[in-house]
Amino acid sequence: MTIIKKFEPAEPRKTFSKKYIALVVISLFVLMVIEIWANNNVAVYGEKLQKLSFLQKTLNLENQILENEIAKQVSLTNVASKSAELGFSKPESIQYIR
Amino acid sequence: MRIFWVKTILLFFLFAICIRLFYWQVVRAEFLQSQAENQHYKNTKIEAVRGNILFADGSILTSSNPAFSLYGLPKQLDDEQKVTTAYLLAKVLTGKQEEVDGLAKEITNKLSQDLYWVLLKRNISPDQKKQIEQLNLKGVEFEGSSVRFYPEGSSAAHLLGFVVPDTKDAGASKGYFGLEGYFNGELKGISGLLRNERDALGLPILIGNFLESQASNGKSLILNVNQTVQFIVEESLRAGIKKYGAKSGSVVVMDPKTGGILALAAYPSYDPLTYYDFPKEYFRNPIVADQYEPGSTFKVLVLAAALNEGLIRPDTKCDICSGPVSISGFTIRTWNNKYYADTTMKDVIVHSDNTGMVFAGKKIGLDKFYSYLENFGFGQPTNIDLQDEASPDIRVKEAWREIDLATASFGQGIAVTPVQMVRAISAIANGGNLMEPHVVSKVLSDDGKSVYEIKPKSKQVLKPAVAQQVMEMMVAAVQEGESKFVKPKGFKIAGKTGTAQIPVAGHYDPNKTIASFVGFAPADDPKFVMLVRYDEPSSSIFGSETAAPTFFEIAKQLLLYYKIAPSE
Repeated sequence: MTIIKKFEPAEPRKTFSKKYIALVVISLFVLMVIEIWANNNVAVYGEKLQKLSFLQKTLNLENQILENEIAKQVSLTNVASKSAELGFSKPESIQYIR
Repeated sequence: MRIFWVKTILLFFLFAICIRLFYWQVVRAEFLQSQAENQHYKNTKIEAVRGNILFADGSILTSSNPAFSLYGLPKQLDDEQKVTTAYLLAKVLTGKQEEVDGLAKEITNKLSQDLYWVLLKRNISPDQKKQIEQLNLKGVEFEGSSVRFYPEGSSAAHLLGFVVPDTKDAGASKGYFGLEGYFNGELKGISGLLRNERDALGLPILIGNFLESQASNGKSLILNVNQTVQFIVEESLRAGIKKYGAKSGSVVVMDPKTGGILALAAYPSYDPLTYYDFPKEYFRNPIVADQYEPGSTFKVLVLAAALNEGLIRPDTKCDICSGPVSISGFTIRTWNNKYYADTTMKDVIVHSDNTGMVFAGKKIGLDKFYSYLENFGFGQPTNIDLQDEASPDIRVKEAWREIDLATASFGQGIAVTPVQMVRAISAIANGGNLMEPHVVSKVLSDDGKSVYEIKPKSKQVLKPAVAQQVMEMMVAAVQEGESKFVKPKGFKIAGKTGTAQIPVAGHYDPNKTIASFVGFAPADDPKFVMLVRYDEPSSSIFGSETAAPTFFEIAKQLLLYYKIAPSE
């Protein structure tokens, strides 16, 4: 006996297409690369931040030292001693003009 | 059976692991968490920079210079390394070759202690730090701090006070005496904390946890003190002490219109940077903390009180001044034993006549005299903004005898501080207002914005006309008194000399005096009130021959500095 099956078109399978799988894999790969890049950058910027912070501190210190040096140079004690070295003396006789 | 034992052993190990995990995660959780945090996080204390103290024109009187504290980590070094490190550090820390061995031994001893870290040296300079860093030493760390910097050297030491490391707060500092002590809270600031996550190399993790509590730097003070006036005063006082052989001396200059202290100097003095090398007695500011008997300088205040009450006039004649006055068995004489019958009140001041003052004192009476003492601010602090102010007490009114009133009328038997005296005289100079003296005019925040301004406070204690009359008497005292020869020509200066004997063991020593001169110039529109005081001058015991010349020497320079021309 011959059984003849009625031809019916097969229903499309509900599975992920290779396209989607590839997309996910690529996305994960890209994310992985980005993470490695970001981590790398963060580590590098951490070092840069450290250097900048150190530089800022050094400049602040130098600024403070220079300000103090100026104050020392213009202090009256220093000016009086310099003027004495140069032979300046106090006015002895002052004439007032009316 | 073997399977049973294997299972039992495995279960036992599983149980042991669970117990251990419980121990770590529950029992020791907090300790281990804190240990982990210590490894992941770095806490850095941000020291607040101490505020500056500036002259009235904004130039620096005191600021802070960066410095570092050097720490050692003994656990990281073996014995040989400790000796080598100590020797290398000593070479950098001391400039003198002969001190290297001693210092190296000291550092080795510190590093040999059973401690995790030990302070090796405070206040090393940035240059020394750089040199140590270049040595690449193991087990050595730094912590930032600051050290006070004085561009004018030891100038104004009594005004400033000094700063010492705070034992309760490592790295912080604490002020003592003067402005550093009085304004310590404002000047010291509040230290901050920086806490951030670190990676295995100790570098900061940008996206890690970060906590920053900013340090708030100390506030700065702008003073009423004038740099030039302070310099002139210090120079003249130093020269005067040498010239007159005084044991000590002090000068205070005040603006009578605002109460602002323009200059304040005292000798012997000390260097605030190396305060530990000086005797402790030098730290007290004699202008606000020392009491003395004002002597004849007090007479103008007693006459001002009597004039203000309308009890006398400048031309009132003294009817007891023809000779020594006897009170309660005591005889009161004039300083030179010369007597002027029917002398006027103006001449009482010119001749500095003690008998005339007894006359005026009797006219006032104890009640009014006592109330004027209080009005002029004696017996109570002036509220000057310096830490070590002291105010001598005045005896209670009930304890005063007739002789006490008589001697107090010419400034003996009563104690005042120089700042009280100069404040009282400024009331005569400015038309009768008793000003509250202030060293500081403004307090500035770290960003330079004014936090608060100190406004002059005053109270009227004399009628303006009375102040004018007393001023004229003081002008006459300068022009006709003992110090007339040293007065700068052409200027109208008001002043009064004072020579007070020093009480020693219940009696007055005739050879030991406090010589003083108080006055103001120009008399009609005073720019400054000044008190000059010498303790135990040896060249002459009199104020007219010691304090007065110094007063006029300073006044001459100040009049020139303020561009004031002679008026006579």
